[in-house]
Amino acid sequence: MERLTVTDLSVRFGSLLALDRINLSVHAGEFMVLVGPSGCGKTTLLRVLQGLTRPTEGRVTLNGKPVTGPGQDRGFVFQQDALLPWRTVLANVGFGLELAGKQADGETVHRMIELVGLKGFEHHYPHQLSGGMRQRVNLARALAIEPAILLMDEPFAALDALTRQTMQRELLRICAAAGTTVVFITHQIDEAVYLGDRVGVMSPRPGRLVRILDIDLPRPRPDDVKRSQRFNELTSEIEEIIHSEDERKGGAT
Amino acid sequence: MTLAATSAIDDAAAEARRAKRRSLRRGLTSFVLLAILWELAGRYVLTNKLFFVPLSDVIEAAARLWSTGELQHHIAVSFTELAAGIAIAIVIGVPFGIISGISRRFRDYSDLLVAALYATPLVAVAPLLVLWLGIGAASKAAVVFLTAVFPILINTSAGIIATEAVLIEVAQSFGGSRFQIIRKVMVPSALPFMLTGMRLAIGRGIVGVVVGEILGSQAGLGYLILVAGQSFDVPNLFVGVVALAIAGISLTFLAQFAEQYATRWRRVVLE
Repeated sequence: MERLTVTDLSVRFGSLLALDRINLSVHAGEFMVLVGPSGCGKTTLLRVLQGLTRPTEGRVTLNGKPVTGPGQDRGFVFQQDALLPWRTVLANVGFGLELAGKQADGETVHRMIELVGLKGFEHHYPHQLSGGMRQRVNLARALAIEPAILLMDEPFAALDALTRQTMQRELLRICAAAGTTVVFITHQIDEAVYLGDRVGVMSPRPGRLVRILDIDLPRPRPDDVKRSQRFNELTSEIEEIIHSEDERKGGAT
Repeated sequence: MTLAATSAIDDAAAEARRAKRRSLRRGLTSFVLLAILWELAGRYVLTNKLFFVPLSDVIEAAARLWSTGELQHHIAVSFTELAAGIAIAIVIGVPFGIISGISRRFRDYSDLLVAALYATPLVAVAPLLVLWLGIGAASKAAVVFLTAVFPILINTSAGIIATEAVLIEVAQSFGGSRFQIIRKVMVPSALPFMLTGMRLAIGRGIVGVVVGEILGSQAGLGYLILVAGQSFDVPNLFVGVVALAIAGISLTFLAQFAEQYATRWRRVVLE
């Protein structure tokens, strides 16, 4: 079943063509990763999906309904943790529900806090938490509105390597437990391959979706899947696609 | 992690408490030294009681004024005028500050005007206000309002503008309305700024009350000072001044405490 469909989507900022005719469909329960170098428009694409940026051409539908603006059917996980510093973990996780006029400290919120492994930290303030814990709150906040799709904008980019690894593993566990559909954006190829059911490779200026690869690694994926031969083949393949796109455009990077 | 982190927070908090007590002790030491110096100067250096008196005389005068209930009355009158002026300044200054922070257009129209009025020592119009509103409490409240409203408005506006863009985007992405964004993101984010504005406003407001009362009144600490000055009653004059100083310190402390309470979420930092 198709959850999210993107049809002939283009975004132009003045004379700059940021996204060029993107076509993409994401199935229910699928973990879709978009990978590409900086400047390939992947964040712009995610913002269009969230309804924060308007497309110049083309359209986006979620469960068959056109996306025209932000809404509670999509949960957005920001690159910076973007927590409200004057609110406790509990109040931050409940923020989305509160804006929708729903109960913001009920069973759902507590369940999400437990799911992301922050039970016992409900009354801590963001400044009292580590970077990884703050990203867990960020994730729980997006999950608490029980969205049809989770949109994640390089959420682990600011974390150190070890924390990032833990968070990737945790994300897979959480998404499997919650049955979440995800569009995840990253510039790290190994992260893309480790997380994704499919990986879309993007190229810059103008931003195009060059190829979509099926990641046929079995699930659940233990850490050592990253040392397997298949994993290396897939990352090499993606690297080559990005590299050849660079050469084709004569880009010196 | 939990245990170590919790004890680190506890240690940091204990150290902060110790530092606070130390600061208080040092501050009080200065006060005691000044009091001793005043007493000695009054007894042995400036001995003409028409111009200066030792602290003990002032305390004596204060006790006398207290026993007749006069001092309490003056304090109550001044405090009421101050409180009324500040309250109106908050009720007007905060909403206008919020509008100014949100609306570029409003800011374009008002910025220059507000900056000019903020820079003008508005106590200068106090005589006019006394002329208009009489020698009662209304004219003093009006002076306080005029001197206090601009720091509140300006700081509120600055606080709203300083709201982190990404936090506004978070609320937008959850489908938050404009009003919700203002109420749940901008105002809480600007709250520390607003309280700073109120602390400044109290300082200016005290000056406003005294100037207003000296220009024309029937009661209040400014009135006490005026009458004492005209009758060469130096001890009573100092009672008025010291009472104002104490009021100023207490109110500023109170405002600082409110500021700290409102920003308690950023007090404990692990790193």
